[in-house]
Parts: sequence; C-alpha cells; structure tokens
Amino acid sequence: MGVTLGADMREWIARVVDWFRRDRLDAELDEELRFHRQHLERDATAEGSGDATSAAKRQLGNLTRTVEDARERWSIPRLDHLQQDVRYALRGLRRSPGFAFGVIATLALGIGANAAMFGVVDRLMFRPYPMLRDPDTAHRIYLQRMARNDQRTESWMEYTRYLDLQRATTTFEKFAAFFPMNQAVGVGDAARERPVAAVSATYFDLFDAPPALGRYFTPDEDRTPMGATVVVLSHGFWQSEFGGQDMLGRTIQVDNLPYTIIGVAPEGFTGITDGSPRALFYPITTYAGSRPGRDATEYFTTYNWGWTSAIGRRKPGVSVEQASADLTNAYLQSWNHQRERSPNMTPPDVAKPRGIAGPIREAAGPDPALEDQTALWVTGVAAIVLLIACANVANLFLGRVLRRRREVALRLALGVSRSRLAAQSLTESLVLSLIGCGAGLVIAQWGGSVLSSLFLPEGAEFNLLTDGRTLAVAVAAALFAAVLTGVAPAVLSTRADMASTLKAGAREGTYHRSRTRTALLVAQGALSVVLLVGAGLFVRSLDHVSSMRIGFDAEHILFVRRELRGLALSDTQRIALHRKLLETAQSIPGVERAAFVSSVPFRSTSTTDLYVEGIDSVHRLGQFTYQTATTDYFPTMGTRILRGRGFSPEDREGAPRVAVVSEGMANVLWPGQESIGKCMRVNADTMPCTTVVGIAEDAVQNSLTSTQWFRYYLPIEQYRPAGGYALMLRTRGDPALHAETVRKALQEVMPGQSYVAAQPLRELIDDRQRSWRMGATMFVAFGGLAVVVAAIGLYAVIGYNVAQRMHEMGVRIALGARSPDVVKLIVGQGVGFAVAGVICGGVLAWIGARYVQPLLFRQSATDPLVFALVAAVLVLVAGMASIVPALRAARADPNSTLRAE
Amino acid sequence: MPPNPRRDLLPGTLDMLVLKTLSVQPMHGYAIARHIQRLSQDVFRIEEGSLYPALQRMRQKGWVRAEWRQTPNNQRARYYTITTTGRKQLGAQSAGFDDLVAAIGRVMRTV
Repeated sequence: MGVTLGADMREWIARVVDWFRRDRLDAELDEELRFHRQHLERDATAEGSGDATSAAKRQLGNLTRTVEDARERWSIPRLDHLQQDVRYALRGLRRSPGFAFGVIATLALGIGANAAMFGVVDRLMFRPYPMLRDPDTAHRIYLQRMARNDQRTESWMEYTRYLDLQRATTTFEKFAAFFPMNQAVGVGDAARERPVAAVSATYFDLFDAPPALGRYFTPDEDRTPMGATVVVLSHGFWQSEFGGQDMLGRTIQVDNLPYTIIGVAPEGFTGITDGSPRALFYPITTYAGSRPGRDATEYFTTYNWGWTSAIGRRKPGVSVEQASADLTNAYLQSWNHQRERSPNMTPPDVAKPRGIAGPIREAAGPDPALEDQTALWVTGVAAIVLLIACANVANLFLGRVLRRRREVALRLALGVSRSRLAAQSLTESLVLSLIGCGAGLVIAQWGGSVLSSLFLPEGAEFNLLTDGRTLAVAVAAALFAAVLTGVAPAVLSTRADMASTLKAGAREGTYHRSRTRTALLVAQGALSVVLLVGAGLFVRSLDHVSSMRIGFDAEHILFVRRELRGLALSDTQRIALHRKLLETAQSIPGVERAAFVSSVPFRSTSTTDLYVEGIDSVHRLGQFTYQTATTDYFPTMGTRILRGRGFSPEDREGAPRVAVVSEGMANVLWPGQESIGKCMRVNADTMPCTTVVGIAEDAVQNSLTSTQWFRYYLPIEQYRPAGGYALMLRTRGDPALHAETVRKALQEVMPGQSYVAAQPLRELIDDRQRSWRMGATMFVAFGGLAVVVAAIGLYAVIGYNVAQRMHEMGVRIALGARSPDVVKLIVGQGVGFAVAGVICGGVLAWIGARYVQPLLFRQSATDPLVFALVAAVLVLVAGMASIVPALRAARADPNSTLRAE
Repeated sequence: MPPNPRRDLLPGTLDMLVLKTLSVQPMHGYAIARHIQRLSQDVFRIEEGSLYPALQRMRQKGWVRAEWRQTPNNQRARYYTITTTGRKQLGAQSAGFDDLVAAIGRVMRTV
C-alpha cells in the first residue's frame, strides 16, 4: 500500500509540476507531432505509396484528439479555476488599492500579533530543548509542601534530597541534577562573569549530543564529597574564546579552581537553560565540594542548603501520574528522614509533601511565574486582536458584496455557477490573508524584538522568520482568518436575488440594514472593551507598583558586591578589606554616602532565631529578616527613621547592643505599645538584650507582593563584624553613570583574583516589576490596536450606510429636517453600536475579571472607574468615527434628490 | 507472402512494448513506433493518438525520461530514455504477461 501511495504521490507531484509549465509542454508536443508527421510522410514517399500525404494524415489519426489526450496529462481543471480566481482577486485588488490596503494592513496586524506572541509563548513554555532525547519522558522534578497554610512549589532542592529521591524511586530510568549560575571564568584582566552550569555526570545522557571534541565527565568524576576539576566547554564559548583550537588537557580557571578541559559540547547544545547559553559545564559535586565553609562537607548529608534542580526520565510504560506518585512517596520518606535529625520540623501530615513530575520548562510547570502567566494572557489578547481584525475585514467584504450586488447578479445571469462565485469570494479572502500573513510576519519580527526583551530571558534567540513553528502558526492564523472573513460574504453573494437586483437599476432606492454587519460591529466593540478594561487594570497595577513606597530610594543607589573567588581570608583580614572598600568608596567623587551591608533587597535575606519577652514563638508570627549594616545605612538608602534614631558611630563592638526595627515588625511584636527601649534577644534566648532604639519605615525585601514587612537592622560591628558582602552607594545623579568608575576604583583594593561587580539597585526592582510592565504595555498596545481597528470598521459601515441613505437624507432635508438633526441621527446610530458593544464587552470583562485578578497589583479587577473610563472612550471614539459621514449626510442636496424623483 | 493482418494490441500492453523498446536504447517517438511495427512484422501499428499520451503518462510516472536531442540527420527530436523505475516496471509487466499468456495457452489447449 505504501509503495502505491508513494508512486501515486510522485505522479501527482509530476502532474502539478507539469501544470505549471503546461504552455511549454504544449509547444513541445506540437513540435514532436510535427516531427512524427514529417517522418511518416518521408517514409511513405520512400515506400512509394500513391498519395503519401493523405496516407500520413490517415496514419496520424485525429491530430486534435491526440493533442487533447496528451494534454490531459498536464491539465488540472481545479488548478485552472484556482488560478483564474487568484487572478480575478488580484485584479480586483489592483482596482481598489485602498480597500486592499485596509484589509491587508488589518489582517497583518492581527496575524503579526499572534505570530509574535506565539513565538514568545512557544519559547517560554512549549518548545523542547535542542537535542533533548525523547522530550515527552523527561521531567523537571517539582516539590510541593504546605508552609503557613500556603502551598509552596519549588523546583530546587537540597542535594541530599536529590540523592534521597533518586534512591527511593523506582519509576525513573535516570536522574540528572544541575545548577545554573554566573561565575568568574579566566584569570586577571581576562576574567569575566559568565553563565555556567554545574551538572551531574548523567546530565549529558538526557541529550542526543555526542561531544564535538573529547568527552563528557563520568560518574567517577562526579562523586561526593568532591568531584574532579574537569570541565566541558560549550561550542560557542570554545569558538569565541579559543577560536576552536584543540584545548583538551589545558586548564581554565572557574571561580576559585583551575579545571582541566576534557571536552567540547556539540554546536547547538544549550543544555537546559532559558537565558544566555552556558559557557561551560562542570561536575555538580565539584561545585558543591569547593564551597567555602561547612556546605562543602555537609551538602550531601544535611538539608540546610537547597539549590539543586533535578530532571528525571520516566521508565518506558510508566505514566506521569505513577511517576509523580512515586516521587511523592520518596519525598515523604526523605521528609521523615530529615525529621529524625530536626524533630521540630513540621510533621508530614501538616506539610503534605508532594512530588510532581512536571514539564521541564518552569513556565509550563505547576507554579509559573507571574511573567509567564501574563505572557499567556497576552497571547489570548493577541487572539482577540485577530478576531477583531477578522470581524472588521469580514465587514469590509460584506460592504463590498453589497456594493457589487449588480455585478454578482449579472454574472449569475450569465451562467456563472453559485459555487464558483463562492469559491471566488473565498479565494479572494485567502489571497488577502496570505499577503497579510507575509506582512504580519515582517511586523512580528520587527515588533518581536520588543516582545523578546519584555518576556524572554536575556540572550534568548528570537528569529521568527526562520522558525518553522512560528511560520506554521502564522499560516494557520491566515487560513483561519480567510475562512472567518470569507464565509459570510461568500454566502451572501450567492444568495443574491438576481431578478430584483437587475430590475432595480442604477439607483438603489432602499437602504438595506444588514444584521450580520451590525453583529460584527457590536462584537468588535465588545472585544475592544474587554481589551481596554484589561489595559486599564494593568496600567493601574503598574502605577500602584511603581508609586509604591518601597522603603528605600532605589533611583540613586549603586550596589557593589565583592566576590572573593575562593580567597581564604581571616576575620581580621576580612574586616580590614571591608573597611578599606568602604573608605575607598566614600572617597570616590560622585558617591555621596556609603554603607557596607550583609543583604541586598531582591537578592538575599537573612533570618535567625529571635526571642522577645512575652511572646512564646516569634517565629510563628511570620518571617523576620535582618540586615546588618555600617553606620550610614539609613541615610544612604533613604530609609526614613520614623521615631528614635538610626545607627551612630558609637554603636560599635562592646557598646550596648542596639537595633532598629521596621514599623510593621514593631506593630506585630508590641502592638499598642512604645517599642523603643524594648529588649530582643538575637540568635539565642541566652544572648544579652538588643535594645530597640529606632523605628524605620517598612521596606521591601524579596518580593513586592509580600504582605509581611518584618525587618530589623543591626550594626554590623556588633553582630558579625566580619560578615557582609556588598556596598550600597548613594550617587549624585544616575548610578549607572558611576558604575564603571566605582568598579575600577574598588577593584584596586581587591587582593588576588577577587573582584567587585557594580549594578544600579533600580535594575533589580525593574526585574520584579516586569510582569505588570509587560501586562500594561501589551494590553495597551493591543487594546489601542483593537480600538483603532474597530473605529475604522465603524467608520466604514456608517459611511456606507450614509451613502445608501443619501436619497432618504435629501428627502428629510426637503421636508424640513435641519443639518444638526441629520448629524444627530447618524452619530446616534454609531454611538448606538458603541453602547451595545460596551454592554456586551462589559459583561464579558466582568466575567473574566476574577481570572485576571491574581496578576494585578493592589487593584480590583472590577474597578468601576476603569470600566466607566473604557465605556467613555469607546463611545467617544464611536462618535468621532461617525461624525465625518454624518456631516456628509447633512450636506445632502434636497434639490437634486427631488429632481431625480 | 501476403502481409500479416493488423491486430489490435491487448489492453495495457502498449506500455510494456514501449518500455521493452526503450530498454535497447533511447529513441524518439517515431522510432519507437517504427521499431514495434518492424519487430511485430507489421502486426501492430502504433497509433500516435495512443503513443504520445502514453509516453507523457509514463514520463509523469517516472518510468521514462524525456529530453531534446539532435538526430543523426541533425534534426531536433525528443528522445525517451528508460529509468530504473521503468526497468522495474518492465520486469513486473513482462512477468505478468508471461503468466497471462501461459494461462491462456493452457485453457486453449485443454478445451
């Protein structure tokens, strides 16, 4: 069967190819037959039969029939029709370029929006990683538990947990662990922070990616407590850094150790990463085993440090549910194991530990980030834009069918079949849609760079025009649009009543109100309302989040972190280095104030046990984080002291211990009391009192959406003099402008291979505000687009109606109607459409509101203000779109109307 | 000797005869017709009305290739060449034909 099918297929392809060159084939056949005939005559003459020519003619048979029979081999009537229809469509477009432009532009915007958003969402959620073998059976491992009545989903775990899960599960063929990060690579001036990944030896087995050079590391080189110092370079890094020379056996410095290069991954291998491609891969146990402090020796036996991401490959025949159940069971065992060591851990029946074999892409996983959810919503928005565009185009087509009624009737009368007419109409939509698709892809690629920077991690590849998946979606969207826009006009054109139309003559006396067109207009209005409401909600969210007082003054702060890169320093040396850094920073022109700190907002927080007299368990009230800092912390950050005082130079080691607490913390620990002067014991209840000397305004720590703002501040000298890793610098003017000067000046202080990196604090916050900025930008862009398209549609329909009713208007004016009455009549019609749209759209938006609520920031999804504003905008736009045709109607000339009668 | 009487081709045998002819060497349409006529001792006369449509069909099926060349008399003619697929087809058809002839022969002899 397969062979026949293949052969048939081949013959058909040949036929279609021949169809395209049928003119040449015709000519060749003629020449061939001429040749045949010549030879026949010549041979007949040579044989000496009487009338050579007639014999030849007789022999040649019916020439015409021969030609016809042969031609049948390359004639495909359907293709002929299609070609005629396409030509007819193109001719029609040339005749009315304005109409064609309107349709193509509208569809291009709709299709382009969808292609671009698909490109984004596909990269975020669906596209399998390059070279990943059998992606359907590979899963990221997610762990869920209940913490303070909140379900937490995490995609990372302790390395010990990873080992536990691997040991206790039976449904997985293989586990792999990985930890992506940025680390300093190289030495001296050539050293740069680069994206790298610490991975297990099993990691490479997930892929069909034999090394381009050398080999990958083996399980022997990836073992606890400390793996081998070997490294596999990515192809790109190998090319850019070493020009593709044979580097096997040479060493490269990564973080604090020299590594031997043992292999190069193949071109196109990215591993599992959403952002910039990783420069190199080395054993995960080598990473953990070379950490400073106790982590290096305890990471595979304790549960103190959660950092490992895990991938599991299901065994054949095991379902996803079975795998997840197996994971849950293993997680429970591991939980109990951990509880044996720390008995005050939450019991499993409260924590409800649960394992999930989920999608590798976290955006598609059980706990997607706000940004990812927003991206999905915006994709829905793009689909709505396409619907609006289709409704608009369908309306334009309908208008033209109405205008062409006479032509259609004439063609029917001349014997063109109705199905041919419908096919013609559909072909026209198809041609326009496909042209729109081409233009849309160009728009998508052009606008895509904006989308890519909004939604995708830095360094992500984004080329839509060479991407088969996006092209397929764009073409599918175009076909969808063609059907949607072509069907109604096709049906309408074949329903034309020829007799009455032909009889009606040139003047169309009566005005036809088309119910379909009205419905399409109202639908456009309604969908626009939905998008505008969304736009309003996101804009207000963004407004809330950016005007929110976050407790410090991010605009003017540059933060500098120092990276020791494995340099072993004694406490005294550390203290000296930190002091030197602080002094150097303070002496840099442009730096107004500086403080050395132990945590940076949105990067890290610290917690420790806290004891307060009269409270059983402070822990139970929420999470209290602390910051240790040098004297100038509050004026540097711009965090206001509400009562009491900030730090003073006298708060040094040996002096009475002091703390500043946030207002929120004071209110929860000592409600209704004066908190200044209260005693807290930090770390242990045997510690001496730390006295509260000041109340600071609340400040954001790790999350903008958090509702807990419990934070306390300790002088670094009193708490942990050798601690801390970052400088906060208040700069004059834009901190970004000072970043390089500051980095250079501070780098001079750093010993050995250690280094500093400077970044404006603003950038960290921008990252956190991304989801609302994204939502606001995209909803406004698409919402605006929708309204413009809908307004054009309304303008076209009202304009058409007015043209149809010019006669009626003339009569009205002749009977005494004044211009304002006529304008009011027409504008009223346009506004009527808008009001209907507002009502339908308002209801839709109201229903959709609760789904979008979690994505908003301190903003009710059913905010009456937003709804009212949107309604006003839509009515106003409708009024404006109908005013021009209305004025035209008001100029109807009663004289000519009556004379024509 | 009186000329052999003309006979019609069995349906479906034209393709086979053309392929067999071309398996000797590439030829143009007229030469194919003459070749079959000569070898059949004038029993078969290949009508152009069936030959040229058949050649086009076989070309589309990929059994023969067509290309324009110069004849020895320096005229332009379209030459047909049998392809590998065409040779396979010829093998299959002639085997089928042998079976057919044998079957007919058996019936004719017995009855």
